[in-house]
Amino acid sequence: MKVRFTSVVKVLGVAAALACASTASAQSAGQFTAAFGVNQLTPKVESGDISAPALPGTKADVAKDTQPVLVLTYGLTDNISLETAIGTPYKHKLYGAGAIAGTGQLGTVEALPATLFAQYRFGAPNALFRPFVGIGATYAYFMKERGSARMTAVTNPGRGVPTTFSIDNKFTYTAQIGTVVNFNEKWFADVVVNKARLRTDVHFSTGQTQHMKLDPVAVILAVGYKF
Amino acid sequence: MRHTKFALAMLTAAVLTACGGTSPAGGDQTQKLTFSQLTSFGDSLSDVGTYAVGAVKTAGGGKFTINGDGTSKNPELNGKIWVEFLAAELKLPAPCAAQTGLQGNAAQGFSVAIQNNLSCFNYAQGGSRVTNPVGPGNVATGSPIGELTVPLVTQVANHLSRNGNKFNGTELVTVLSGGNDVLMSLTVLQTAATAAGTAAGNTAFATSLTAQLAAGATNPQTAAQAIGAAIAAESARPGNTSQTIVAAAVGAAARQPGNAAVAQATVYGPMVTKAQADATAAGNKAGADYLTANGPKLVQDLGTAGAQMATIVKNEIVGKGAKYVVVANLPDVASTPAAKSKTADVQQLIAAMVNAFNTQLKNGLGSDERILYVDLYTVSNDQVKNPAPYGLTNTSTPACGPNALGTTSLICTNSNTVAGDVSHYMFADEIHPTPFENNLVARYVLKEMAVKGWL
Repeated sequence: MKVRFTSVVKVLGVAAALACASTASAQSAGQFTAAFGVNQLTPKVESGDISAPALPGTKADVAKDTQPVLVLTYGLTDNISLETAIGTPYKHKLYGAGAIAGTGQLGTVEALPATLFAQYRFGAPNALFRPFVGIGATYAYFMKERGSARMTAVTNPGRGVPTTFSIDNKFTYTAQIGTVVNFNEKWFADVVVNKARLRTDVHFSTGQTQHMKLDPVAVILAVGYKF
Repeated sequence: MRHTKFALAMLTAAVLTACGGTSPAGGDQTQKLTFSQLTSFGDSLSDVGTYAVGAVKTAGGGKFTINGDGTSKNPELNGKIWVEFLAAELKLPAPCAAQTGLQGNAAQGFSVAIQNNLSCFNYAQGGSRVTNPVGPGNVATGSPIGELTVPLVTQVANHLSRNGNKFNGTELVTVLSGGNDVLMSLTVLQTAATAAGTAAGNTAFATSLTAQLAAGATNPQTAAQAIGAAIAAESARPGNTSQTIVAAAVGAAARQPGNAAVAQATVYGPMVTKAQADATAAGNKAGADYLTANGPKLVQDLGTAGAQMATIVKNEIVGKGAKYVVVANLPDVASTPAAKSKTADVQQLIAAMVNAFNTQLKNGLGSDERILYVDLYTVSNDQVKNPAPYGLTNTSTPACGPNALGTTSLICTNSNTVAGDVSHYMFADEIHPTPFENNLVARYVLKEMAVKGWL
């Protein structure tokens, strides 16, 4: 992932340098933009203990994932816009933590945090840098929860029944801060940080439950085009 | 551009739907390592049916837990022990006893010819110790059951002799032993301490009673001699009881000049009561003194047993080719109902014995990639203190009720447990775990195996 990031940053750097000379126009009322890039989604995990029967303090950790993303915006006015993103699901690896730290990867889950943002963009539409803030309604959708031999072994050994789990989908909200770098009238770069409030519950097929505070941070780097 | 957007949207939709179901699933259940078999050594905690023959089998027993299938009552009442859960989870055949038989009372159905089962690799036997061939339940202890109690050292030797003096290196080996060294030492110690206490108590009773009865006589010294002689004579007479001894003493005392009043029950009665109290105090003290004097030797013996177990693991198991050896230390015997019924002194002694064993075992094993040391002590200690997270509902009362053999879980079944839901009790009998607790042990071992990279 590092390699990909580095190259994206390089492209942005070159693009930004080129853009300095040009007179950029930018998003204005009634304008659509589409930006393609990458989104790194990092849950800031505070895991609750899995319920009995378990070793006291049995926790979980969730790893970050990076996926391509297509960011779509529509300018309601020169300063107010709507934004949403579509992309491939984020595939997060789940690891044993707390009392079962060191047990390694226990499962995977795919997440689709669909969000509709309302944004306020500072400055004039043609400014080189246009910082913006946003607040969004998010529906965090979890799917394809997959266990493993190790998850079964530490939760329900010796019965030939693989342990499964499901994660509650949640409506929540996301705060956003970012900036647009306008290269020219049509092309721009997006640098965005999103922070969502996300607390959910995991339900295991063994009847156990676990509360998880995920509060993910998304960092998006994208290059876009204005229509 | 419109087409591009549409294409991207379609692509996303395709990605979302292409990869099969989105609902939860067990995922890849393949384990990192594939073991060829489970080979187990130890005692009742790992014994899957050495004694499941004769009257024990008839009674529905054979394992030291709640025997039999009680899953219609509760899924946890499955009659299994930890090595069975372990084998099932590792997709290995169910373990079976490498040797079966009983050497006890034939009339009770406890005499069954010893049979070696060459295709079975569970050598663990109830009552087994580390090196001493006589453990609890062995016929040499006077037990009618006549458990074989082949010690750990011999179990390993038997396996080696069956398999060309080597382990094949692809099996998972489990070793859990030492508990019977604690129990056996304790029984011997307590018998001796009780004897010491009884002797001291008898002496104290005679001394106290004599002094009190003689005090009212014109010549207490002469009186005391006469009373002492009467007690000694009656004590030596076959068929004496404490009442006849008291009667002899009181009779001798009342015959002394100036001491007739002592014959009245209101006078001698309180004297007897005080003498009994003196005897109890002296007896307890003597018993405790005996424990104090001899306890350290037992603690030392257990340390030796722990070191011996480590040597067996290193030289005879790992040294003979085993590459995956789970060595569990001794659980917290001092927290079992068996120990909790003892005095605080004895509980401390048990704790010290277990600690000495585990310390020597751990030190002796050192660090070796092929050995996974599993700390059952800490978990079992915590379970008793903090049962709720483990799902345990009772950590102090045995689940098994009385049976034909007393209280041992060897013939405990789902039909002779105590009233109520015992599915999540920790203990089946005074020392052995229930199937549920065994499952918790299996989980812990598997968790440690995962951390070690063996799962």
